[in-house]
Amino acid sequence: MGTLVTIHVARPGLDEAVERAFQWFYDVERRCTRFDPKSELMRLSAQAGTAVKASDMLFETVRFALEVAKESGGAFDPTVGHRMEARGYNREHRTRETVHSGLEPEAQVSYRDVAIDVPEKTITLRRPLVIDLGGVAKGLAIDMAAQELKRVTGDFTIDAGGDLYLGGRNPKGEPWSVGIRHPRIDGQLIDRVYASDEAVCTSGDYERGQHVIDPRTGKPATAVASATVMAPSAMLADAAATAVFVLGPAEGIAFLRRLELKGIIYTPELERYET
Amino acid sequence: MPPASSPNKANKKVANSLVALSSAAVLAVYSAGYVRTKAAAEKFVQQADDRRPRQAPPARPEIVEASLKTAPAPVPVEAKAEPKPEEAREKPKAVEKAPSADAAPAPAPAAAPVVAAAPAAAAAPMSPPPPWKDGIWKGWGTCRHGDIQAAVKIENGKITQAGVSDCETRYSCDIIDKLPPEVLQRQTADVDRVGGATQSSDAFYYAVYEALRQAAEAYKADAAGAPAAAPAAPPQAN
Repeated sequence: MGTLVTIHVARPGLDEAVERAFQWFYDVERRCTRFDPKSELMRLSAQAGTAVKASDMLFETVRFALEVAKESGGAFDPTVGHRMEARGYNREHRTRETVHSGLEPEAQVSYRDVAIDVPEKTITLRRPLVIDLGGVAKGLAIDMAAQELKRVTGDFTIDAGGDLYLGGRNPKGEPWSVGIRHPRIDGQLIDRVYASDEAVCTSGDYERGQHVIDPRTGKPATAVASATVMAPSAMLADAAATAVFVLGPAEGIAFLRRLELKGIIYTPELERYET
Repeated sequence: MPPASSPNKANKKVANSLVALSSAAVLAVYSAGYVRTKAAAEKFVQQADDRRPRQAPPARPEIVEASLKTAPAPVPVEAKAEPKPEEAREKPKAVEKAPSADAAPAPAPAAAPVVAAAPAAAAAPMSPPPPWKDGIWKGWGTCRHGDIQAAVKIENGKITQAGVSDCETRYSCDIIDKLPPEVLQRQTADVDRVGGATQSSDAFYYAVYEALRQAAEAYKADAAGAPAAAPAAPPQAN
């Protein structure tokens, strides 16, 4: 995932559980990365038109991503993979190999071109397309790691590149305080939230320029500088943060309210919106 | 799944379904078991360990500060960067340091991808000779988008230049070309964690940290009379 993962646990002696938690990140990446042609995800992408039996992990991740796509009216869409390739997000940083699907960026595909069969656990790409599970898969890995840690301790934090899951309470017995990065001033915080047994995920425009594409237009989303969402799972928080980033402040807040999730949005002008 | 036809009516269901679906997915995947070949998993761990720290190097902010001031040693300066002792935080296995916010140097000329140490040098406090061996040292740092290699030049035991020597991220490295010295100053204030993506500037910190670690090790090896590592050795070497 190209992500620095940090796990903090409240007491020593949990090395094995922490190790198992870390393993999930490798396992999820192995299956769900867009940057390895041999990953289960990319093998799926190579079989358009066929109902492909998927592992539980890939199936549930795709199923969830499609559901978020539907509920966000396409503001979140996992089929933007080829467009991301076209914009240069196509290099596996570990192997330094460029991965390219051969699809044209103009190809008009959307989440509607992916069908799933729940009883059979199959996924069918109705047209050639590249699924990008980016944030959802990372969220899933965080959630898996949290499950692993919850078996042995209630108090812990998982930080995967700034996407967080906060288990239990901090050493002072309080909810964890989480600073939100200032989207315009590096190294400064613009806000803070308190979280316990929930995920806090932020989608910001500061990290790699205009990296979030509005799937509905194919253009970068520019109405939000930073969108933070708190949710019971990192999977949901991450996907919702991306959706909100694309939807913009007004629709984004409405979306979060429908989902009964807490969120904070900052526009490029640093106007603050909150659920 | 809820029909999309009547948004208002469906809203409540939508909310519940998404939250419930994510929870169900988490449980389904988790309980489906996690059959991994130990060997493969260990290989991944090995590869990752070769390249990246699992958690922020604890001395990172201090290192960065050190590099700005061109003087202090990488490790021993941490005391002054700790605003206050936090006895309540002794329990966590890993405790993040809060880098000092007040030590920010005067804004230095930006623009150049190379962070020159000179502007801040005047402010360098008295300190023991830096234990870095002269030469150009390189290290890798990682952020969510890929890896960045930093090169640090040590002359007469001081850092005279630092910059990005290799950018292996998925996106252009333009975004960090402007890395001015103040970027190296990071503050986390008094919060437990910081949300928001790990940025390329973080990767740069890690890379500089790694480069300086090698320079310090070479210096120590020299001092001990052992065969020293050559500067600008492959960065993966530990």
